[in-house]
Amino acid sequence: MITLYDYELSGNCYKLRLLMSMLGVKYKAVPVDFYPGREHKSEWFLAINPLGQLPVIEDDGLILRDAQAILVYLAARYDPSKKWYPVDDPKMLGEIGQWLAFADGITSTSSAARLHDGLFYDFDVDAARAGAHRLFRILDEHLWFGEQEGREWICSAPHPTVADIACFPYIMLSEEGGIPRQDYSAIRRWCDRVKRIDGFVVMSGVFPASPARAA
Amino acid sequence: MPEPDRSRWHPIAASHDLPFRHVYHAQLLGREFAVWRADDGYVNVWENRCLHRGVRLSIGMNDGRELKCQYHGWRYANRTAGCTYIPAHPADAPARTITNRTFPAVERYGLVWSAEEPVGEVPALAGVTEGRQLVLRGIPVNAAAEDVAERLRSYRFQPNGALDGKDAEVALEAASDTSVALRSREAGADTLAVFFVQPVDAGRSVIRGVLDDDAEGPQRIAVMRHHNRLLSKLRDEAEREAAGKPAPASIEPVYERVSAELAEMPEVTPHGRKAALRVEVARKFAAADGIAGFELRPIKGLLPTFQPGAHIDVHMPNGEIRQYSITNGPGESASYVIGVKLEPDSKGGSKCMHETVREGDVLAISEPRNNFPLRRDALKTLFIAGGIGITPLLAMAQALQNQRLAFELHYFAQNESQMAFRDRLAALGSSLRPHLGLDPAATGAELRRLLHGYEAGRQVYLCGPGPMLEAARSIAAELGWPDSSVHFEYFKNTNTIDDSSSFEVALARSVMTLQVPAGRTILEVIRENGIEMPSSCEQGACGTCLCTVIEGEPDHQDVYLNDAERRAGTKILTCVSRSKSPRLVLDL
Repeated sequence: MITLYDYELSGNCYKLRLLMSMLGVKYKAVPVDFYPGREHKSEWFLAINPLGQLPVIEDDGLILRDAQAILVYLAARYDPSKKWYPVDDPKMLGEIGQWLAFADGITSTSSAARLHDGLFYDFDVDAARAGAHRLFRILDEHLWFGEQEGREWICSAPHPTVADIACFPYIMLSEEGGIPRQDYSAIRRWCDRVKRIDGFVVMSGVFPASPARAA
Repeated sequence: MPEPDRSRWHPIAASHDLPFRHVYHAQLLGREFAVWRADDGYVNVWENRCLHRGVRLSIGMNDGRELKCQYHGWRYANRTAGCTYIPAHPADAPARTITNRTFPAVERYGLVWSAEEPVGEVPALAGVTEGRQLVLRGIPVNAAAEDVAERLRSYRFQPNGALDGKDAEVALEAASDTSVALRSREAGADTLAVFFVQPVDAGRSVIRGVLDDDAEGPQRIAVMRHHNRLLSKLRDEAEREAAGKPAPASIEPVYERVSAELAEMPEVTPHGRKAALRVEVARKFAAADGIAGFELRPIKGLLPTFQPGAHIDVHMPNGEIRQYSITNGPGESASYVIGVKLEPDSKGGSKCMHETVREGDVLAISEPRNNFPLRRDALKTLFIAGGIGITPLLAMAQALQNQRLAFELHYFAQNESQMAFRDRLAALGSSLRPHLGLDPAATGAELRRLLHGYEAGRQVYLCGPGPMLEAARSIAAELGWPDSSVHFEYFKNTNTIDDSSSFEVALARSVMTLQVPAGRTILEVIRENGIEMPSSCEQGACGTCLCTVIEGEPDHQDVYLNDAERRAGTKILTCVSRSKSPRLVLDL
């Protein structure tokens, strides 16, 4: 079984819990006391991930770090429909790669602001918030035109991909870093769609959506 | 900054911002709105805070009929914004004063318009045809609306027919401090664009553009991208300028107290029963054999919030007053639908409704009262209806179905043609279990089967003819159902009222002692002495005139209280019940 080194309040760990739930993959979570224990900087954890970052998974002898990398691995290995990470579709893989990098940008801005406000990290919170707003504007425009063109998800596939899962958590948690989403109406609608994917689970600070209207 | 004009209509969203089952987060002149479209199409614009803990309702859940707060699950009804359920108080009906503030909403030109205190109609746009306009992506700008509107006067764009050109002539056709109309012409192509700048807050705004064109397909997208690019550039310039100025203070919205009409008690009528509302019979229809359905619409404004199980008093043209349950599902707040069975021995109530009242007639009705509240915390809920007893239980079943909670609706009727509101029943799918043509013995056996196997977390709601309720209640008790899990509502009290006793009633809060002689009711005597007391059926069935007993032994003659409540002796129905002890102290 997969082992997830997990912290409940981490959006990056949540990404993996979310995808594994949607894929119906069973896993064992090993809680790591990120705050206040700083267990991710402890000797035993650094032996697993010398970067001292969550999340990490162990699966079948493979130790893998980095949320985006793990999403790619899980989808490629455990999604027989090949929708979440279409390994045979180079264009789609390119699109996904582009948005996974974008998700890293969301982590370094929106998540940083949240760590500053919630866990007292010494970050430049104004810069983090401004950076998040810049990214959200870009994504909102992308999603708004997507709706107009009949595209519901971040990539051009007619179904969600790991790119949606990678971007979702730190967008949903942005208010905890003082970054309102009021100006991003298309992002807010896309969040509802993500919440309606079968297998969706919540975390602290992420609320469920109401069921979609019956067709 | 001068005091903003709150009487002007402004667009606060685009129609495409309001898909079903979504809550849009809007703001106008500092005041935030939760904006949501119900499944019936109605657009709700509400103060963006839950009346309980002030959490934003824009993060709540739109289930198509109600908006549910994410924090403690308070539910608010479509249209009225009245609270319909408080999960922490599952056995109680929320007070009618728990009603959120609503604002007007008009959809026009693909935009949703609102204002705090609007005067007049949404302005007509010269040159734009309703229904064939193209609504641009709204562009939020971190700059004051008037500065953005000023900039828009010199906005330059290509007409839709010549997007690739460069030399369009753009003429300013009209402008105000928050809107600009521009016409772009080049080589025979001609497009009118109207821009509204929504004043979100002192230093924030949204540009909402409407073009007089209904381009389709790729052309439509190209036009929208053209403007998105140009307006984003305008936004960046406006924000650079605004960043160089001191940031204006946010506009502080005023949060009003509960409205006067909610806070006031309705007028008193000579008989003490109030009929504050005037409704029109919008539709009279055959709900089943011998059952007439009435759809009652307000003459003006909105009907008050109702909860499943609630009833209204209908004041009939012949002076009679009768109680009817509201059968509506949650969020169906445009009208009340009631069902009236023609009673063979009618004393004028159902006969009048069937024979005299017609479509278009105006009736006086009371506010809805809910003395038969529905718990929504049961693991499973059983509804057992006999005949016209379906009406309150139908409203309840629809509420549980909307929340996807487990229930079964057992409907005892003579035959299929006597089953009322078949369209509503059909929507319940397999949760509806008809039991047709059973005699009393077979009904008893069926009730025994249904009530068999009580488990904690189950609730049963009964409504139907007296003998059936008596049978169901005694079977439930025998099979181990606690009184607290068995809920019932009688149509009428068939007990013979013994009003031969005379006794003294002390009103603890009013500091009054009154004599109730034989032949008079407590209700009559206290009203005569100026004490306000609501009532409805005045025969001990509906529970409206319920009162707390502080001291003394009540002589229960109603059919509202259950056996445990009767034994406890702490409640009394003042319209029929009396006192066994010489003195009764009431919490009035």
